[in-house]
Order: sequence, then structure tokens, then C-alpha cells
Amino acid sequence: MSQSIGTNCNDLKIEYDKCFNKWYSEKFLKGDVRPECKELFEAYRACVLDAVKKKKIDKIISDARKDDPFPAAANSPSSPLEDINKHYHHE
Amino acid sequence: MKFFETSHIFRYPWSHVSAANWRKYPNDNCPHVIAVDVLDRHVDPITGILRTERLITCQQNIPKWILSLCGGSTVSYAREISEIDPSNKVLRMTSYNLSMNHLVNISETVTYTEDPVDSSKTLFQQEARIKCGESISKFANYLEDFFIARFRDNAAKGRQGFENVLDRLLGQGEIA
Repeated sequence: MSQSIGTNCNDLKIEYDKCFNKWYSEKFLKGDVRPECKELFEAYRACVLDAVKKKKIDKIISDARKDDPFPAAANSPSSPLEDINKHYHHE
Repeated sequence: MKFFETSHIFRYPWSHVSAANWRKYPNDNCPHVIAVDVLDRHVDPITGILRTERLITCQQNIPKWILSLCGGSTVSYAREISEIDPSNKVLRMTSYNLSMNHLVNISETVTYTEDPVDSSKTLFQQEARIKCGESISKFANYLEDFFIARFRDNAAKGRQGFENVLDRLLGQGEIA
């Protein structure tokens, strides 16, 4: 498994990647596209966002998103992207 | 502006290649990629397409003349957005640099598709575009040449590294 930008996020990343890779091969590629591993992802992502802020690269990421937004999920009332941008801009 | 283009056929089916793509790093051929993180990810409930946004952290030896010209750092970041359409067996990833992008824009698109002639194989296409900013127009040509050479070198190493990852994962039965 690859490393995380936050060394303290590596354990969370390993757990999430393991869950995702299993879901990808065993469910997603076989036609069951319902997402899984949500809790593991949220824990890992919170850690990454924190590391990104500490390294002061949150601004270059949010600037990149302004120019080229990450497409929001259809039918999703609150896109995860908005949550991240909120995180970047208001905290 | 300079362009780079290459293609390759991987001797594994698309499902295996697309699964291994998430496990491409670390590999010995790409020591410059030091971290890979998922920033956002979702499945489109209508199309079934998986979209992922990742942050790639790289550490590369950059010649001093470029660092002094650009004021850059040896650690650089890239943003990658991928879309995987499992029903049509298409994986498309685009990435571009977040660092030093006031001086140079490097964007890359790679696609992995099932070989229409032989479904046990996967077609790989890679395109890159490198453009230096106006502010350094005097040096643009030198810089573009440097980055395209670096890109070509990394692309060849990356492809070989990915072959090794595929051989290892499939040899160990980690992807079935």
C-alpha cells in the first residue's frame, strides 16, 4: 500500500484501502456499485484533510477545484465536495 | 507547448488491470511518488461510474537551475481525477501539477480499455501536454524540453513498474 501525506494517517489509510480494494474487485467490478467502507473513508479523509491543512496545501487544492470542480454525485443532496470546501474555507 | 504520447498493451484483462491500478504504488520504479491520498470519491448512482479525486505527493531531484529559476521545491503535488465505467470497461485518469503551476502546466490523461480484439488484454494510452507560462518565455523552450524528457523517462519507468505490480499481485493471487 502507498503511504499517506500524513504519516499519522497511514493506519487509517491501510484499513480504508483494504476495504475499498475488496469492494472494488468483489462488488463493483461484478455489477454491484452500491458504495461501502463509508465510515473508514470518513475517518481516513478527516486525517488527510488535517494533514493537507498543516502542510498549507489546502489552498492550492481548493483553487484547483474552483477551476475544475470534482463532479458531484447525481441525486446527492449534499455533495462531499461542498463539505471539503467548507472545511477549507471556513475553519 | 510540447506533447507526449504513448500506448501499450498489457497482457492482463481489464478487470485485473483496473484493480491493480489502485495498488500501483509503491513500486521500485517510481520512488518519486511518496504518497497517494484519496480526497473524494463517489459512485454515480445513475451511470454506475466510480469517480475518485486523489492527491499525489512526489519528491524528485530537480536541477538547481530550475529551482533557482522557479523557486520551486523538490516536493511537489498533483491532482488526479479518475472515472471508471465498469459496464463499458473504461478507466480514464487525468492529472495535473498543483505545484509550480504559475510556471509550467503539465497535464496527463491515461486510459485503460479492454482490447476489442482480445478481451484477455488491456489497451493503455497516455497523453501529456507541457506548457510553460509567459513569465518565463525566454526559458520556456529549455524548460519544456526538460519536463518532457523527465516525463518520458517517468512514463517508461512507470509502465514497467506497473507491469511488475501486475505480475506480483496476480502471481500471488491477490487479484483474482
